[in-house]
Amino acid sequence: MELFPLWLSLEVSLVATALTLGLGVPAAWLLGRRTFVGRDLLAALVVTPLVLPPTVLGYYLLVLIGTRGPVGRLLDAVGVEVAFTWKGAVLAACVGSIPLLIRAAQAGFEAVDPRLEAAARTLGRSEWSVFWSVTLPLAWRAVLAGAVLAFCRAFGDFGITLMVAGSIPGKTQTLPLAIYDHVQANQMPEANTLALLAAGIVVVLLLGVGRFARLRY
Amino acid sequence: MLSVSLTKRLPGFTLDVTWDAADAVTGLFGPSGSGKTLTLDCLAGLARPDTGRIVVGDRVLFDTATGVDLPPRSRRLGYVFQGYALFPHLTAGDNVAYGLRELPRAERRGRVADVIARLGLSGLEHRYPNQLSGGERQRVALGRALAPEPALLLLDEPFSALDLPLRRVLRDDLARVLREWRTAAVMVTHDFSEAYRLADRIVVYEAGRVVQAAPRAELLWQPASEAVARIMGIPNILHGTVIKATPDRIQLRWRGQILEAVNSPTHSYLPPPEAPIAFFIRPEYVRLIRKDRGAADPGHHMNLMTGIVVADEDFGTTWTLRIRLDAPGPPAQGDHDLQVEVPHLVYEILEIDRDRRWEFSIHRGSIHVLPA
Repeated sequence: MELFPLWLSLEVSLVATALTLGLGVPAAWLLGRRTFVGRDLLAALVVTPLVLPPTVLGYYLLVLIGTRGPVGRLLDAVGVEVAFTWKGAVLAACVGSIPLLIRAAQAGFEAVDPRLEAAARTLGRSEWSVFWSVTLPLAWRAVLAGAVLAFCRAFGDFGITLMVAGSIPGKTQTLPLAIYDHVQANQMPEANTLALLAAGIVVVLLLGVGRFARLRY
Repeated sequence: MLSVSLTKRLPGFTLDVTWDAADAVTGLFGPSGSGKTLTLDCLAGLARPDTGRIVVGDRVLFDTATGVDLPPRSRRLGYVFQGYALFPHLTAGDNVAYGLRELPRAERRGRVADVIARLGLSGLEHRYPNQLSGGERQRVALGRALAPEPALLLLDEPFSALDLPLRRVLRDDLARVLREWRTAAVMVTHDFSEAYRLADRIVVYEAGRVVQAAPRAELLWQPASEAVARIMGIPNILHGTVIKATPDRIQLRWRGQILEAVNSPTHSYLPPPEAPIAFFIRPEYVRLIRKDRGAADPGHHMNLMTGIVVADEDFGTTWTLRIRLDAPGPPAQGDHDLQVEVPHLVYEILEIDRDRRWEFSIHRGSIHVLPA
């Protein structure tokens, strides 16, 4: 049986989670720790992927990165193709999962006593150093929990991926899309195997993070 | 040398203070919400004053006139926060080492070991803050603030997190550390006895303003006004009428008695006759006259009065008596005129629980006039 969709999905969700961490942690820190112009707008923007229908999200993404879209033309100029490639799947997974990470990490940062950061500043540390030595070490459990949720969400994305990356077997067909195709083709044993694999991976991850998060800082 | 002048307007509160200090330890004393902690935050750079100037030694940390505003990390001040704010994810040793990142590794290790030893924390380096007692936490917080050798130490209510017996021990502990380290310090407290025990000079805050700044002994005996005396929690603040005032003495009328008082040596002032005057009498300085030693001698006992004990309260080692004078008119303080404190032993020997009528005297040096 063809396991390509499983490997692709794992790969896509790992890359997407890494990207989500890179973008989401700074955003969560900004939302949790700073006041700035456009804060409310950013906060609202962060929630939209949770409430918009995935197809709507996918549609707008496609408009944005398609060869005639503003971002798409830029990408085209540097020779990067995103739409209907595995990179498109990564983008889709990212957009779908980043709200989960940001919300968890923001709550984690907000729970850090600001006086601890103040103490670090009076002890000669820069903002950058304060973040890495105090804020993040005290909030890492929340960030990790958010990252695992984000990974699971990325792993399971269907609608956005379908719109942005398509469902090209052997190229952009991720595990959820493959399951759908199998069911459509009445290949129930294959669908069953993939579904069990997906459910198993997610359950193991969530159990693992629960155990990990009980450790001390 | 420390010089502070700042204003900061917040919703419903304005801080506007100016004071300076050459002494080793300065106490900022006043009720909660009077702006003491905000002053510390402005000193440390954690809050930004609207206007002002802050100079520590020869370093200008903040000056609106020249646009100087050093960030907290460049101010070189050690801040011991209320509740200590120790890093919970770091051991005691790593907490102390936190401010020493600029030092080479070997030197840092030596400095940490030295601080740990001097503060009596040896053996606790590898404990986390939640594995330390309240007193140990305080010492780690002190060590963390002192390790980088700050130009000034800021202490915010250093004993508020502790219960009473420990407070007393740590107060002496802290006094010793401040003496040994020879670091100038500014300490915030709302407890006058703490301020008095630790500070050389005390700045009294009320509602965002400085109402008095003086050496501690001067403040204790000569509060600059009735308001300051009330903030200090002094009992027996009374109001009389001036009969005659000279630079040394003040004669005043109160509850039908004529009292002789010493004028305040530093705030010597000369109110005209018949002017109202506030004064206070420390409860422990009222002397009961023993009845078994014959009649009181007016030449020896000043300001003789008689009265009756209307209530008494047992404070364990001392008793507080509420005495109403044998004088017409309503008592000065509700049901009584004077609060008098006597040691438990005296209370027993004189059998005050049985014998309620007493003659007593107050030395003129124990009647402290309060400038209007």
